[in-house]
Formats: sequence, structure tokens, C-alpha cells
Amino acid sequence: MKQQFEIPVGAQHISLLEPLHFKLTTENETIVDADANLYYVHRGIENACVTKFKYRQVPLVVGRVCGLCSVSHGTAAAQVIEKLTKVEIPLRAKYLRMLVIELDRIHSHLLCLAHVAENSGFEALFMQTMRDREYSMELLESVCGNRVQYDYSIVGGVNRDLRPDVAADIKTKLALLKPRVQALHEVFETNWSLSLKNKGVGAISKELAMKLNAVGPLARAAGVPIDVRNETEDLLPWKELGFEMILDTAGDVYARNMVRIKELYVAFRIIDNILNGLPEGDIANISKALPEGEAIVRVEAPRGELMHYARGNKTNVLERLKIKAPTFSNVGAMVEIFKGNQYASAPAIIASYDPCLSCTAR
Amino acid sequence: MSAFVTALGNLFKKPATVCYPFEPTYKPTDYRGLIEHVPEVCIWCRRCEIDCLSGAIVFSQDLEGQQTFHYNPYVCIYCGECVAVCPKEGSIFQIAANAAPAVKAQDVNNQWGITFDNAVESRKVYMAEKKRLADLKKAEQAAAAAEAKAAAAATVTTAAAVTPAEQIATAAPIVPPPSEPTAPTAE
Repeated sequence: MKQQFEIPVGAQHISLLEPLHFKLTTENETIVDADANLYYVHRGIENACVTKFKYRQVPLVVGRVCGLCSVSHGTAAAQVIEKLTKVEIPLRAKYLRMLVIELDRIHSHLLCLAHVAENSGFEALFMQTMRDREYSMELLESVCGNRVQYDYSIVGGVNRDLRPDVAADIKTKLALLKPRVQALHEVFETNWSLSLKNKGVGAISKELAMKLNAVGPLARAAGVPIDVRNETEDLLPWKELGFEMILDTAGDVYARNMVRIKELYVAFRIIDNILNGLPEGDIANISKALPEGEAIVRVEAPRGELMHYARGNKTNVLERLKIKAPTFSNVGAMVEIFKGNQYASAPAIIASYDPCLSCTAR
Repeated sequence: MSAFVTALGNLFKKPATVCYPFEPTYKPTDYRGLIEHVPEVCIWCRRCEIDCLSGAIVFSQDLEGQQTFHYNPYVCIYCGECVAVCPKEGSIFQIAANAAPAVKAQDVNNQWGITFDNAVESRKVYMAEKKRLADLKKAEQAAAAAEAKAAAAATVTTAAAVTPAEQIATAAPIVPPPSEPTAPTAE
């Protein structure tokens, strides 16, 4: 047996955006074993939601769980409370929620692609991707009024209506963004030096991904057909707006990049359909019912399936709120993927997971 | 190949970033910014304070019961919940302006803590004063009623010409309440 070394990566590391600690056991340059430590940023948001805040405030509080998928958390919490209070929201509110979730997906996927490029050593592509991401950030800012914390979904609907000039702004900016994304697609697909760090690196088989309950682009890149948008139709009507599942077979970093870029095209199509077919009507249906019973809601966040569970007891404060973030489901697969890869590939692999530890630790 | 051309072209282009403090950044027209309060319109129900997520709004109260609105833009998370719950249209609203950056000399965090505690304390003092005045009034009324009863009994026995109501008016003039604040009750 060769001599083994344990190399810690994190909790603060130049290639990590999030406080996550990997303990990598290496033989020469090859990683033979890995271990992960999480929960460095536990903030007790679930407990705050069931003690300090009223149920109407919960969607705004859980939006603070994550800066990147803020609207997914807020929407999931709003939907689970709507289930408890038995409120039916207007169709226009559903469409506006989907619009913001898809805009959020664009900016989150572009951020992840930028970091994969950076951690693979392609700084210039990082800069290009982040510049193009700015369009989606500006759109989110003009739709929701804030750049990071959208506070868009409230119990019963959405906070603000889509103005006609903002809708026109979305169309013009997406028309500018689409050719940029096509150019990025070409680079991510054909660039030779990027392929050295991405193709065949960090691969996971379909069977293993299924066994380890991977979700999101990580699972879809391995060929596991798992997407909440494909499975549920009762809360948000994804399929009628042209949703299509993107699958790949390789399961490596390259396949994850391709899945994310192709999901951007799907997001563009969904946003176009929403803007063209936005129904008239109210944006919120505020009722005074108190939450009762228990319910589960799943939402497809940019990183995968997000689950909110809530229980109410006919008071103003919920009895229990549980958030299961997509990264939590992926940790098993994340640890497994490292094995057999080169240590130098670890940063690119970590970036391609798109880990969100503040979601996971809440 | 096209990426290579773009990269070369970028050498001669202006930077994509904004030179922020000297140039304004992108800001939408209905940006969610500072909270403005109109005391003339406000009905002082304190719904915004109760529903504020971060505790950025607090009302203080003087001894006459007049409330004052306090707001800290550095604690505020700009969610707009106070505007949404306000029952009186136009008394609280959100403007598109940001808060100016705070400097160390302003000591915003500690000062806000002091302001918040003082405001809560002032409301307790007002409530205690109100309770004291009410108790005083109740005691006075009870004393007047007892006196009137005694006088009525006396009139019945002595059959005097003075009516009880006149006797109350002469016997118990309403004492103006003292205006100095009482110490808050220890809780």
C-alpha cells in the first residue's frame, strides 16, 4: 500500500464559495477517499420561524436562507402555508412566480458555470460569464425591486405586479442575453483546454446517482430523470409553458455544464411563454384563515429538489417548519464522486456540484 | 475561434464594470428602498412595528400619549411588509432611495439599541402613568360616591333642603392630576 495523505479542503479555501470542509485522502495525486463536514453556518432559521415570526412573515424570513435561490425558498414556504390555510392563488400570481423562479435559475446557472470555468483555470471565461449574468441580475432587480433578496412570493400570491415597461425590458434584455449564452455554449462545448479539466472528470454513473439520491443537474447529467417541474402540476403549471427535461449520460463535469446551459434555453422559452400568455387578474388572494394540519411542497430550485414541510395548529405561529435543501440530498454523491480523480481536479469538481451550504445548514 | 476574437476585441473596449462611487449603478424605477412615514396621516396603530421582521421600526410615546415614529435604515431589510400591513393608505410608503453609508462616528447599531429600549420604556411609563391616573380617578369617584351616600343618609335622617347632587358638587371638587411622571413599575 502506498503512503496516504489527508488533505483538508475548507472550511475556508480559495476555490470554495461556501463554508464546506472536505477531507480528501490521497495516494500520490489520486484521491482514494473523501469525507465531508457541513453545518458551519447554522443560523436556526427554522426555529425562528416557529417561535418569533407569524406565518405570514415566514416566506420573507426563509428567503434569507439563501441568497441565490431566495425565490425558490420563499415560494415553497408560501405554497406550503397556502396548502395549510387552503387558499387558491390566482393564475397570474402562479405565472409571475414561475417567471421569477426561471430568471433566478438563469442567474444561478450562469454563476455556477462561471465558477466551474474559474476553478478549471479559465479566468477569462469566468469574467465573460459574469458579465452576461449581469443582465439577469438587472432583470430580477427591476421585476422584484431588489437585487438579491427578492421577497416576491407572499402567502396568497406575489408582492408586486409586472409592469408593461418591465415586461418589455425583459424581452429586450433576454434578446441580448440569448446570443451571449449561445457563444458561451460554444466555448463550454468545444474549448480544448477547458475539456482537459472537465471531460471525464468527476463522473458518476446513473445507478450510483440513483442509489445516493442525487437531485438537480448533478443527477440529470448522469441520466437520472428527476425534476420536480416534470412531476408536479398542481401548484405551478410548468408543462403548459414549454418545460422540457434536459438529460445527459456522461455524469462528469462537462455533462453538468451542458445540462446547465441547455436548461438556460428552456428557461428562456418558459419566460417568453409567460410574457406572451400572462393572464389578467389579481396578483394575490389574501385570506385570514389560520394554518391547520400538515403539508409538504416541492419546488425545483436551481440546484435541485427543494422540500418544505410545515405543520400548523390554528394559531398565528406555525408548529413546525422543515426545509430540506437540494445540496443536502447531494452530499452523498458529492463525497462519492471524488474517489479516483486527481487532486488537482478537486476545485473544478466542487464548483460543478454548485453546493449551497447556507441552504443546507439554514 | 470567435471566443478568441472576442477576447482580443475586449482589449480595446471599455470595461463592463461601473466605476461605482463616481458613476451611478443600474437602478430600476420602483426599487425597494427606504421607508417614509407621514405622521399627519398615521393612525398610530403600530401594525408596522408589530409586523416588522427585523425590528427596524419602533414608536415612542410621551406622557400626553403623543407617539413618535423611529426608523433605522441600517436594520431594515427593505421587505416592504410594513407598507403591506398598513391599514391607512399613504401613511407609510417605500421610496427608491438608498440609505447613505453610515460612518463609525454615528455608532448606528448601539444608538439604535438605546433608541429602541428608550422607546419601549417610554411606552411603559405612559401606560403606568395612565394606570395611575385611572386609579386616582377611580379612588376619587369612590370617595365621592361614599361621601354622597353618607350625605344622602344624613339628608334622609335630618331632612335637609340640600339635594345630594349639590352636595357632591360642593363636597368633592375634581382635583387636577399631577403631571410629574411616576417611576415605571419594576417588571
